[in-house]
Amino acid sequence: MKAVFYHQNPEKPQLARDIRRLEQDILRMGALVEKSFRLCHQGLFARNLTAIEEIPFLEKKIDRFYRQIESDCTLIMTAQLLTAQDLRCLSAFMQLVRDLERVGDYAQELADIAVKLFPYPAHPSIAEIAIMSHQAQAMLATSLGALANFDEVGGRGLQYLDDAVDSAYHRLYQTLASQRDIQGVVEPILLLGLAIRYLERMADHATNIGNRVAYIVTGQHPQ
Amino acid sequence: MLLLAFLLGLAVGVGFCFWLWLEVNNYLNQVLNPSTSVTSTKLPLKLAFNLPFPVASPWLAEITLIKQQNQSQQEKLQIYQDLLEYAPIGYLQVDEENQLLWCNQAAREMLYIQRWEPGKVRLLLELVRSYELDQLIEQTRQCQKSQTGEWVFHPSCENAAAMLEIKSVVLRASSLSLPQGLVGVFLENRQSLLDVNQARDRAFSDLAHELRTPLTSIRLVVETLQDRLDPPLNRLVNRLMQEVDRLISLVENCLELTRLQTNPNIQLSFHPTEVRSLLKSVWESLEPIAQGRQLNLVYLGPESIWIDADQSRIYQVLLNLLDNSIKYSPTGAEVRIEVKILTHVKTVTNNNSKAAPSLEINIIDSGVGFTNSDLPYIFERFYRGDMARTRPSIESGKSATTIGSGLGLAIVQQIIKAHGGSIKAMNHPDTGGAWLQLELPQVLTNPQSQEYSK
Repeated sequence: MKAVFYHQNPEKPQLARDIRRLEQDILRMGALVEKSFRLCHQGLFARNLTAIEEIPFLEKKIDRFYRQIESDCTLIMTAQLLTAQDLRCLSAFMQLVRDLERVGDYAQELADIAVKLFPYPAHPSIAEIAIMSHQAQAMLATSLGALANFDEVGGRGLQYLDDAVDSAYHRLYQTLASQRDIQGVVEPILLLGLAIRYLERMADHATNIGNRVAYIVTGQHPQ
Repeated sequence: MLLLAFLLGLAVGVGFCFWLWLEVNNYLNQVLNPSTSVTSTKLPLKLAFNLPFPVASPWLAEITLIKQQNQSQQEKLQIYQDLLEYAPIGYLQVDEENQLLWCNQAAREMLYIQRWEPGKVRLLLELVRSYELDQLIEQTRQCQKSQTGEWVFHPSCENAAAMLEIKSVVLRASSLSLPQGLVGVFLENRQSLLDVNQARDRAFSDLAHELRTPLTSIRLVVETLQDRLDPPLNRLVNRLMQEVDRLISLVENCLELTRLQTNPNIQLSFHPTEVRSLLKSVWESLEPIAQGRQLNLVYLGPESIWIDADQSRIYQVLLNLLDNSIKYSPTGAEVRIEVKILTHVKTVTNNNSKAAPSLEINIIDSGVGFTNSDLPYIFERFYRGDMARTRPSIESGKSATTIGSGLGLAIVQQIIKAHGGSIKAMNHPDTGGAWLQLELPQVLTNPQSQEYSK
């Protein structure tokens, strides 16, 4: 575990503290994104529309954190003389919050889908989509855990988890796309198609976060 | 001559040195043994001649004493830490940079902290990604005051298959601001308590629901019997009818309370309502009972106040409260109603950010009041005060109708809560009787609303 990697800079305690504060803010933002994802899951699969009501407020907070973290990173970069490693860390942070923010955006999109999907009866493949959503959530949790522990191995391991989500996406896409003789409107199938697309994107962003953590620690982009 | 002067100087010098030595020894003794005056008078002479070792020995004694004290303090600290470690409620402590310094077993279980090792300092957020907990700690540090918060905690799970098995829990946290920016947080798991409460409420409402149907048929049978029986038996059936009616109203009240609790907003229809005339009509409907006991109503407050409320519900509240006041007032007394408009910001509810005024209604009687042991419970279902509160109503002779169901105040509280208001029960310092204070938001200051409702 390389939790204390930035303590390699004992001559710059201020910088270490700044980075630590930045990391804390990212984890705060991560907690909000996780919550938002969880709530939209409840809305989508348990038809709990009251859970969704909170998501726009969470989204606002997430956006505020995103902007603040980005400007804090820039401030540190311009104000202090940095080593290669610190610079790598800060630039990775900036990329990483962008990924997190995207996951939050998709959660809101999924919440909108949940509202539109509410009047229709449940689709047979909804259980499989719920499993896919769980996998994506687990990936987000893993990527944030890797960030918290600066765990390079965990960060790189996300690629393999992403394969499972990708194959679920292709399988579900085939099921939805090959439906024939549909009774009534096509909207629920369309919405589910979008939902699996968003979930697949969320998993991709989680993988990106894991890769950036590995980059912070090793200085190399994983293949 | 020179030699003499030299010797004199030497003697003075040596004398001065000796005197200084004595003084120092005296001082040392005083410092080391302030309590033992006997030794302090004896020691200097002995000390003066062989200084290093005797002086050292009190020092040594002192050092061992301090060591002993230190050790016992350490033991005490260890005991306290062990107590906290095995306490049934969770405790954790963070430093000014939100790094987790310590957490006990219960807290680790509650928050699913697996990676923490004692002595290794980590950011709390690295171990528990809970935004609510973090916010609570931040607020505590900012206000320098202890805070409490309750939220649903979902442990984050990195295994998709296990995600279904992980249950979220309702946690209540109370934080404590400690010196140097440290914050301590006590954690309680409220989930089991809430589950039990929910199960109780459900069982209660199911029971009431099941009772309603047979009761209705019993009432029908009794009604048929009433007409067909001759005078001696007739009386018994009439009595039965009264009791059945009482039971039916009890069941209805139970069901209503459940409805209000589970779905407060659906049950209300808000309209502009005038409080003064509402009070008047409530009093008029109670007048027969009030006149029988020569009670007077005294109203202090503005002539007309409009609030946005469900008129029939507020009527029910006032009827209940005034009925209680009448029941417990001595003959010939007065029931006082004081109405005020509060304009301070404190009472503003969250969804209404403007400093809207709220309405305060005080209903004060001059009966025996509540006993202190009853006060915390009077809004609970089926709670009855001690016999002092129930006796006068039995005296009045109509026991079946005037003894309340024990649900009246619970319903009142639910209605007021559904309106976004609050109710408090106290004893009035002047009259010694019960003093119920309602506070209702949504006072309408717009005069147009009066025309609208008419």
